[in-house]
Amino acid sequence: MRNGGENRGRLLLVILIVSSLFLITLDLRGVNVLNGLRSGTQSALSPFQRAGNVVLTPVKNFVSDITHLGRTRNQIEDLRKQNQKLREQLISRKNQDGEIKQLKSILDLAGTARFKIVSAKVIAQGSSLAFTRAITIDAGRSSGIKKNMTVISGNGLVGVVKEVFTNSAIVMLATDPAFKVGVRIAGSQQIGILSGLGSSTANLQLLDNQTAIKVGDILLARGSVNAQPFVPGVPVGRVTSVSNAAGAVTQSATVKYLASFGSLGVVSVVVKAPKADPRDVLVPVKPVPTPIPTVTVFVTPSPSTSPSAPSN
Amino acid sequence: MLLRRFGLTGTIFTFFFIAQEAVISQLSFPAGGFSLFLILTLIWAALSTPDVAAAVGFGAGILLDLSPSTNGPLGHWTLILVLMSYAIAFFSYGDENMRGNPLSIVLMVTLAQAIALASYLVTGFLLGVTATSFSQTLITIAGNALWTLVVTPLLLPVVVWLHDLTFDSRMRI
Repeated sequence: MRNGGENRGRLLLVILIVSSLFLITLDLRGVNVLNGLRSGTQSALSPFQRAGNVVLTPVKNFVSDITHLGRTRNQIEDLRKQNQKLREQLISRKNQDGEIKQLKSILDLAGTARFKIVSAKVIAQGSSLAFTRAITIDAGRSSGIKKNMTVISGNGLVGVVKEVFTNSAIVMLATDPAFKVGVRIAGSQQIGILSGLGSSTANLQLLDNQTAIKVGDILLARGSVNAQPFVPGVPVGRVTSVSNAAGAVTQSATVKYLASFGSLGVVSVVVKAPKADPRDVLVPVKPVPTPIPTVTVFVTPSPSTSPSAPSN
Repeated sequence: MLLRRFGLTGTIFTFFFIAQEAVISQLSFPAGGFSLFLILTLIWAALSTPDVAAAVGFGAGILLDLSPSTNGPLGHWTLILVLMSYAIAFFSYGDENMRGNPLSIVLMVTLAQAIALASYLVTGFLLGVTATSFSQTLITIAGNALWTLVVTPLLLPVVVWLHDLTFDSRMRI
């Protein structure tokens, strides 16, 4: 009897393992039904995530207020949103400036380097079980968001839309180890490939070994065919160190992302790419030091009657 | 009776799954945080017979695979949790020293959780799922284990009560 029970248990275990392997095989073969199941789960979870966000926001704000010793969280959040809006306007303005420059130099070449964006709130961070860097935003298919659209913050590239659901979407962050983006160096226009490292820094591989790359160079997204997944001209990062290994086929460098991934509250999805490549107009402006007025004192020696004769 | 147990178990696991996705995932914990759902599954398995544990592991794995934040193929977590739940129940079933001691259960769940994560990562690597750097992985696994060690004693009485309610048993821990 006990043997029978043990055999039945083992049979159940084998059936469950085979079922799991069967599911893995079906998923790896790309059966659409399984994708639909995940999409359905996200649609079902989305209201709970929103509710959780609403409930947890005061708690998080309270903890944050304690951490920040009395600074009002709401005020900071409002200022952050305002700042984000102004930065987006600045990006748009820079596009227009670039457009004017192009029109002046080449009259028949006109382009509107303007992003059409949909702003969204970050409602969840990636699970710690997933070993990936991703966020969930509260805008989805109903807001015109599609898979492989570029996601930006006020500082630059954030990532790419990986999955889209009705009212939410999952964004793969640029810090994800699987993330790769074609970039060009602002100014020299040399191209390379930037790979995520799982942190706020990334690795740049230049395709041409003859190019001189230096610390402080700004990298911009090179853009993809039909502007998906990457729209051209989006600021990506700043070179922090250059590796000049002797005999290396290509040059490599370490790059720090311009976007701050630790404090992503609101992001924007580029739903319409600019008609013209904005080139370098989105390069962040280096802070210009305020000139300190220099006081120059001219001392004129008093005229003496006789330079050779000592005065008494 | 079977339908009642199945229904209750399903409701409890669905509730914890929603709590994990809607609440825990939104909080930033140092060193990666923890998975309430995974802890529930492993405690439940430690309190069950191997057959029930494997079946519960299958159901929990399916739910975890359906989570939008999971990056592996569907069935990946299912496979891991079937094996891990069966193993944890197999080692603890019939051993009252193990089952009657809450400290043993806490340590067993913590160890099983770390092994489950490591197994998920290794099998994920074999299935072509891109993983993060080795140091990041170590931090995540160690962080999860530490959090599990803290959270499991708090969750254990609740899970024991729910398990007793579902199976009409009186577990002495």
